[in-house]
Amino acid sequence: MLQFLFRRLLQSIALIIGVLLLVFFTVRLTGDPVGLMVARNATPEQREAFRVAHGFDRPLSEQFLAWFGNALRGDLGKSLRLHLPNHELIMQRLPATMELALAALLLALIVALPLGIISGVFPGSPLDLLARAIGLAGQTIPSFWLAMILILVFAVNARLLPSFGRDSAQHLILPAVALSVTSMGQMVRLLRSAVLEITHESYVRTARAKGVREAVITLRHVTPNALIPLVSVVGVNFTYMLGGSVYIETIFAWPGLGTLLNDAISDSDFPLVQAITIFIATFAISINLLTDLIYDLLDPRAGQR
Amino acid sequence: MRTLRRCLLTLLLLAPTLSLQAQPSGELVIALPNDPTALYIANASDVTTIAVTRQLYDGLLWLDDQGTLHPGLAERWEVNEESTQYTFYLRQGVTFHNGEPFTAEAIVAAWEYGLTPGNEYPQYYSSAESVEALDDYTVRVTTPEPDALFLIDLVEGWFALPPRYLEEVGLEGFQAAPVGTGPFMLEEWVPGDRIVMRAFPDYWNPDEPKVERVVMRVIPDSTTRMAAIQTGEVDIVNRLNVEQATLLESNPGVRVISYPNDRVFYVAFKNLNSGAGTPVESRLVRQAFNHAINRPGILQALFGGHGQLATGFTAIGNLGYDPELQPYSHDPQRARELLAEAGYAEGFTIGLTCPADAYTNINEVCLSIQRDLAAVGIDLELEFLTTSKFWSEPNYGSTGPMFVDGWSTPAGEALPRIEGAHYPGLYYTSWVDDIITDYIDRLTATIDRDERAAIYRELSRYLFDNPPFVYLYTLNIFEATTSRVTGYRPLPTETWYLNQAGVDG
Repeated sequence: MLQFLFRRLLQSIALIIGVLLLVFFTVRLTGDPVGLMVARNATPEQREAFRVAHGFDRPLSEQFLAWFGNALRGDLGKSLRLHLPNHELIMQRLPATMELALAALLLALIVALPLGIISGVFPGSPLDLLARAIGLAGQTIPSFWLAMILILVFAVNARLLPSFGRDSAQHLILPAVALSVTSMGQMVRLLRSAVLEITHESYVRTARAKGVREAVITLRHVTPNALIPLVSVVGVNFTYMLGGSVYIETIFAWPGLGTLLNDAISDSDFPLVQAITIFIATFAISINLLTDLIYDLLDPRAGQR
Repeated sequence: MRTLRRCLLTLLLLAPTLSLQAQPSGELVIALPNDPTALYIANASDVTTIAVTRQLYDGLLWLDDQGTLHPGLAERWEVNEESTQYTFYLRQGVTFHNGEPFTAEAIVAAWEYGLTPGNEYPQYYSSAESVEALDDYTVRVTTPEPDALFLIDLVEGWFALPPRYLEEVGLEGFQAAPVGTGPFMLEEWVPGDRIVMRAFPDYWNPDEPKVERVVMRVIPDSTTRMAAIQTGEVDIVNRLNVEQATLLESNPGVRVISYPNDRVFYVAFKNLNSGAGTPVESRLVRQAFNHAINRPGILQALFGGHGQLATGFTAIGNLGYDPELQPYSHDPQRARELLAEAGYAEGFTIGLTCPADAYTNINEVCLSIQRDLAAVGIDLELEFLTTSKFWSEPNYGSTGPMFVDGWSTPAGEALPRIEGAHYPGLYYTSWVDDIITDYIDRLTATIDRDERAAIYRELSRYLFDNPPFVYLYTLNIFEATTSRVTGYRPLPTETWYLNQAGVDG
């Protein structure tokens, strides 16, 4: 168990270093920030001064080592555009992103849990049809498209809900629905197939043979075992919601990390892009590690592999 | 007695209107396409940030939407005979939002803070050599040589900053709680979400502002901005495209505003780096390209005709614009004759670089140009670069002998872009010609507006006959307001002053 934990931890650290490298060099492939940051009529001296002030005149390897060293010490640098420390900017926006991600995850679970189990227990029933429809929708509908349709239907036409912003609980509804659909679909499909599979396991047959009531079988024997694979899916989906909400946040003008990243990319704000990506990557890797641990606790066979 | 009664009656009748005028009321909600990067005016760079921050500050002078200069914090000004010294006589009794009195020191402070290292836009302030407070209400600014654009730098960049408050809280403190003399005071800034401003009760102009609260909401996606104006969640949206504007026109609660933007789009020929020694150095070839490219077709097909064909860098509304100059006709036959005359009857192959997605439909424009030139025997090697790569080298060094771009200039003067594109030694210079250099020197040294207009017209003729560009078009900008908005007048630079803006009901 300890050895497993140690191995996973080492892997995670290697992964974070890999992400650091990748992020640093890919943002630089997109070009020179000076062309975008400095006004068009600036003199060559003013351009050079900008380059020197932000260290862009130094060799790439040197820039990387300096940034890497600072990142290890928890210093994520300062934004070129906003003139503020990046960690401050991230912390400013994190609550909004967390709120949206948690709401979407909760919504996905509330719908997927009962629906997935019922449809697995009663395949072919009307509820099963609904479950399969949601599963298919989650797999096929792009969330940004759904977001626009939701705005059009519920804000512009029906005037039931606001179209943008984070002013009240009402404002959370549309973005949370749009963000949850993909995960919801995945969870429904997963639960349904897990339940279908488990209902044919020998221990379920044994229980039936003993004369245990169907309801008890479903609750005591089928559901707990079907939930185990869901743990890793929940973890993965949560990280997806944190990082992948860029589109949804942008469409709903949700003041979270996604909109901040969107702005930083379009402004060529290299330090901020790097800081946000690293933050999300580290967060995602930690969640994955945590998921593995929980999985291991629930199903001891997993850790021995 | 009778007169007295009449006077009293008039007063009574006037009373309600007087009090209405004096009391700002209502709330105006404006959608912003991106979050401002700063509320400290010296760090305001992009159009949105400039538009937002301007409401908090006042400059010495300001320009209206017609390009007319008006007194702001300076009631009047004088220029010496050598055109190198400006004396501004300041308005008295003006205070900052925190109660600090406005004096000449505030203008000195603006200049000094503007030149502080780390400020990324020093060029507005470096045009002055010295700024002195002669007394509390007189400021003298000296420029190293006559500089025709100085007053425009002043309008665009110099806003009064409170020296005592700045001393007290430092630049970081100021960023968090900016203070100006402007018509609105900052109430709240939630990054990525909203900026809330409230009318400044002691504003020096008692008739302004008209509205009590201004809420600016950051809405990055244009589809959402469209939704928000239709539901009335916001009162003003900008950056609409033609399709969106047309859709909104049928909505009774919404008013669509359209005005020509000052950005001239063009195909540039280079006689520096990759352009040197190529056929585009021939004047006849450049004229041929001007005839070959179907600009009316591009404007019609890609922009629904909502724009103007450009005849040069001096665009409609710019000082010295020449309405008599007719754009080159679309005439492939004439283009072929000119190419033959230049010795290229068989045509040739040449590279054109396009800044991918940098402007509306720009990729399609580049493709149309390729097709039009193919029709006269020119094989265009089209290359698309990301914007940061496109602008990354001096003198457009990363592009081919030809490239496509657009250039806007502040405040109704074409000189910044003419100088920027042609003056030897500047970063974005792509075509150098001694005669053009000479014209630029004359324009820079001439302060008198009528004389300048005459030089602009002469230069436009020269640039038309010896085209360093295929001038393409300027486009109309579309914005929309709800029908309750009054007095909102956007400037051609896509910024605005909200001093006169109000809401009905």
